Amino acid sequence: MRISKNITLVSSWFFSAIAVVVILGGLLMLFLDSLPIWEKEGAGFITGQRWFFRQEEFGAGSMIYGSIVVALIAILIAAPIGIAAAVFGVEFLPQKWRMALKVTVELLAGVPSVVYGLLGVLLLRNWIYDLFSAFDINSGDTLLTAGILLGVMILPTVMTLSDDALRSIPGNQRTAARGLGLNSSETALYVTIPQATPGLIAAVLLGIGRALGETIAVFLVIGRQDNQWPDPLIALQPLISSGQTLSSKLGGAETNIAYGQPLHWGAITGLGLLLLSLVVIITLLGIWLRNLTIRRYEA
Amino acid sequence: MVKQIFKAGSILMVISLAVVSCKPSDGSKLNILKINGSTTVNLPAAEAAEVLRESMGLNIQMDTQGGSSGGISMLGEQRIDIGMSSKKISQKDKDKFSSCDFYETKIGEDAVALIVSKDVWEGGVHSVSKAEIQGIYEGKIINWKELGGADQKIVFYNKEPGRGTWEVFAKWVYGSSKKAPQVSFPEVGGNEETRAKVSSTRGALSQLSASWADGKTIFALGLESENGELIEPTKKNIAAGTYPMSRPLYLLTDGEPAGLAKKYIDFILSDEGQAIVSRHDYLSLSDLK
Repeated sequence: MRISKNITLVSSWFFSAIAVVVILGGLLMLFLDSLPIWEKEGAGFITGQRWFFRQEEFGAGSMIYGSIVVALIAILIAAPIGIAAAVFGVEFLPQKWRMALKVTVELLAGVPSVVYGLLGVLLLRNWIYDLFSAFDINSGDTLLTAGILLGVMILPTVMTLSDDALRSIPGNQRTAARGLGLNSSETALYVTIPQATPGLIAAVLLGIGRALGETIAVFLVIGRQDNQWPDPLIALQPLISSGQTLSSKLGGAETNIAYGQPLHWGAITGLGLLLLSLVVIITLLGIWLRNLTIRRYEA
Repeated sequence: MVKQIFKAGSILMVISLAVVSCKPSDGSKLNILKINGSTTVNLPAAEAAEVLRESMGLNIQMDTQGGSSGGISMLGEQRIDIGMSSKKISQKDKDKFSSCDFYETKIGEDAVALIVSKDVWEGGVHSVSKAEIQGIYEGKIINWKELGGADQKIVFYNKEPGRGTWEVFAKWVYGSSKKAPQVSFPEVGGNEETRAKVSSTRGALSQLSASWADGKTIFALGLESENGELIEPTKKNIAAGTYPMSRPLYLLTDGEPAGLAKKYIDFILSDEGQAIVSRHDYLSLSDLK
């Protein structure tokens, strides 16, 4: 008994340590490899808008813009639908149906992203192309296409995490609300949703984290056009133009070319560092908020 | 549930990272022949691999990550046994991977065509001159009507850097890939992607291996030489060397091919293997004699 407990303890520490080492080691390696670009460009690497690798000009600005815009479009689609579906599942559906819904949605989360990417190429690209043909659109490869596709992809993540957040509100809260004469809609609106808000925000943040890191599906439908810095910054036309995200750049051919050339390789690993840092920060924030909701009622 | 998924996910991630970060095992010891590189070379190469898998039971892994430069760099890092390339090994590559003794085996030749979507072809544009394609590449010509076609914006998909196709294109248009101006167009990678995107976009133009132009959904433009002659990417013109954008297809090995790699390359050089090369509308070695 005691031995098995020790084995469990040691092995869980061991594997947790591996996870920590991998993520910290990854950050450290990316940082060390990208040193040449920070030395040359400094903060200009983040704010620079021109990326011409043959002239050794490296500015990640338009890729950061692409990543943020695509993730925002995705979450604008996934958050309302995902949270609404979770509220419906938790507050209105009988237990049996709720589980059926949740399992189906979690199955969707397991569909490989390349499958979504191919669906995007076959269907979504053409829909966007036809739908916006009156608006001076060049092709179906646009930031909007990538955003919508990502929205569909992260929907299961957002929904299932929202479901967890809502379900962590104890039943007696609902009973009390009903006792006060509130109907199910009012209970959801005034009791469970407000109490689950940190958890719901966490679901949204974790969804954004996933959207930022997703590569293959975006790669296939975004057009991969460099230097698409929008002017003015807030405008609609860039959304129906081709662009580039941090992840689609990293998934592209330049990684092969850059290898062995310190500055170019530094720029590519610098993009990796930016992407990983963004995802880590957003994910940690999400996990922190999620635990906040769950712990509040566990005590 | 979600927590468990995360846990399982992180364990899987750690394991896969551990596997990936391990030194690649020597493929020949496990009797696996690993091949990676150009999607152009991949067409006949994959079919040859299929034949050898069946007839000799060889275990061959084919991939097309990163095109020709992917093949070159992965061979340079000794992660694969054969690299597929549709461009010659450059001195720069040799310097970059000095531990690798690149050995080229030519298996055929291919032409790069400028391909357009159906509406452009039907709009009456069947050929371009070098000056015109420079104008398009530099953004000075933006509508097909400037080339005698319909009033339709030119949507240029540039083959991504590092692809053999792009190098051949840049060499013809600008003399060398280094002299090509820096431009930002939407990029396409493998041949399948290029075909899919050009065929489904109005006014589309891209560079693609001529053998892929089927004349139904995508069409290969002829090139106008300086004295006004029209040169189409036909086998005859490529073999005679009159079509300017052609390129050799190589299988690359580290040193002279040996073991499994030799078996594989010998097969592609045999009559049966060369017939496969021809079947994909490339020029076989005997066509070039």
